[in-house]
Amino acid sequence: MNHFIGLVGTNSDHSTNRKLLQFMQKHFSDKAQIELVEIRDVPMFNKPEDKKLPALAQEIADKMSEADGVIISTPEYDHAVPASLMNTLNWLSYGVFPFVDKPVMITGASYGTLGSSRAQAHLRQILDAPELKARIMPSSEFLLGHSLQAFDEAGNLVDEQQVATLEGLFDDFLTFVSITKQLNHAHSINRKIAENFSWEPI
Amino acid sequence: MKLVGIVGSNAELSYNRILLKYIAKQFSHLFEMEVIEIKDVPLFNQSDDQTNSPAIQRINNKIMHADGVIIATPEHNHTIPAGLKSLIEWLSFKIHPLENKPVMIVGASYYAQGSSRAQLHLRQILDAPGVNAIVMPGNEFLLGKVKEAFDEQGNLKDQGTQKFLESILQKFVRFVKVLAALEGPKKLAKPEDLHATGKIDTTIEGVDMAAEDWVEKAAEAVDAVEGKTYVKLDRGILTVDQLNYFLASMPMELTYADSNNQFLYYNHTLPAEEMLASRTPGQVGNPLADCHPLKSLKNVEWVIQQLRSGAKDAVRVHVPTHGPDKYVVHNYQAMHDKAGNYVGINEFILDFKPIIDWYLKQTGQKLVGDVDAVSGASANDNHDVDGVSGATANDGVHKNVDTVSSTSVNH
Repeated sequence: MNHFIGLVGTNSDHSTNRKLLQFMQKHFSDKAQIELVEIRDVPMFNKPEDKKLPALAQEIADKMSEADGVIISTPEYDHAVPASLMNTLNWLSYGVFPFVDKPVMITGASYGTLGSSRAQAHLRQILDAPELKARIMPSSEFLLGHSLQAFDEAGNLVDEQQVATLEGLFDDFLTFVSITKQLNHAHSINRKIAENFSWEPI
Repeated sequence: MKLVGIVGSNAELSYNRILLKYIAKQFSHLFEMEVIEIKDVPLFNQSDDQTNSPAIQRINNKIMHADGVIIATPEHNHTIPAGLKSLIEWLSFKIHPLENKPVMIVGASYYAQGSSRAQLHLRQILDAPGVNAIVMPGNEFLLGKVKEAFDEQGNLKDQGTQKFLESILQKFVRFVKVLAALEGPKKLAKPEDLHATGKIDTTIEGVDMAAEDWVEKAAEAVDAVEGKTYVKLDRGILTVDQLNYFLASMPMELTYADSNNQFLYYNHTLPAEEMLASRTPGQVGNPLADCHPLKSLKNVEWVIQQLRSGAKDAVRVHVPTHGPDKYVVHNYQAMHDKAGNYVGINEFILDFKPIIDWYLKQTGQKLVGDVDAVSGASANDNHDVDGVSGATANDGVHKNVDTVSSTSVNH
């Protein structure tokens, strides 16, 4: 069975993105094992010269390297990914390369109608940077709008159509993960590019 | 025009910082720009509101008081750095200082891209409803291969790049003015309570402010320490006596007025008639209205409004009534707490002549009677002087700029 990391894309105590990942963890428990990872206590990125990651960032990096894939659920702050998630991604590309060629599925929830659409597009672009270089599942979007009303008391998604969409996307992701394992011709080059990326003062 | 330049990186060595410092220095004829740092700003967390922390309030105050903002962003992971995003999240959560603020984006990067993607993201972010900044369209300034771009003095090497930067900064200055016109006339500053009828948390109540012995009575009311008692300061420990020796030896006349417009302190070393601006021991404690003649109160109010609103950090006036052997300047310097809130005025009155003479002697230089150069220097204060010379007008001085510049030329 595949082992995935579900990365909660915010440091907030209350997050419907966390709820969405918790729902997926439960709902897809017969198809994959999803381990939720929190970014709340990851310190501010400050480009330390010795390239030593804070313990928590290193722990997340190690977990990701081990995992078969990563699901990131992001809210949208100011038309973009929250600083706390950007901060974690900065660490996860600083002398470590857990994302290189890692299959990634993006989901997102928002209180309003748009379901974090712009943050998701932003996140795709970030994950495509040479020092991250993830394999993002193409042509797939899961935008959960009005997320405060989306779950019942047991934490289940109420709208059946949303559940069906999510199930379809998750099955696609399982397929995408196995396909990605064959997309390995550029891996050594991608890895080298990431390793050679210079974080010199920019 | 007052601008704030935000360094989008928290790194110790940042070419974006070098770029902003270069802009501030090179284009000081277009605007006055203060370069501010984001490294003390905590990571945004909506469950842990730190809007009122000094680090965020200081930046909030600076932006609110500026006519426009220039942000210099590097590019991390194809986007802006988390630290810069974090600042913008704080500035769009409980407070919104960037709303309707003219903003220009510049960026430097190590590679050829010059932070192109980060700049586009930054535009998108600044356009979000909680931020609502007005970003100048077009006019991208992407400085790629930045390692080779500056010389050792921190100046841009390439003439063409310099010219281009100047042309878009000129456009930004016009952009700021056009937006100001769109906003309509500036709100009039609130009238100043020169009679100090209000109260701040340090105001000593129950003592007549006008009393000759206000100091003694107020000291008794709050049980003020004196003599050999130690006071802890940032940064050091002195006794009250030592503090007095220290302040008395300052080669200038110091006056402290708090944000309630009450005169609280001067370094009393000379009798009133020997001072550059006379003060008497009995005046301390008075509201500012009682320290100035009626006709100059308007000017006093104008100065305080400039300092309180942040329109100016300091107002300087040359008072040429002391004869040709002195160059006496009244400096009204705004004081702020760590969060950048206005807390009062530090007025220091200083004769610059001995300093200039010493400098000329040390360096072997001579003043050349270039009228243009000198009047140009003081002309910066042109519109202030009328307003301010009145403020110091205990001595009833009213001089215009021409008098000021020609006075200095005579030396």
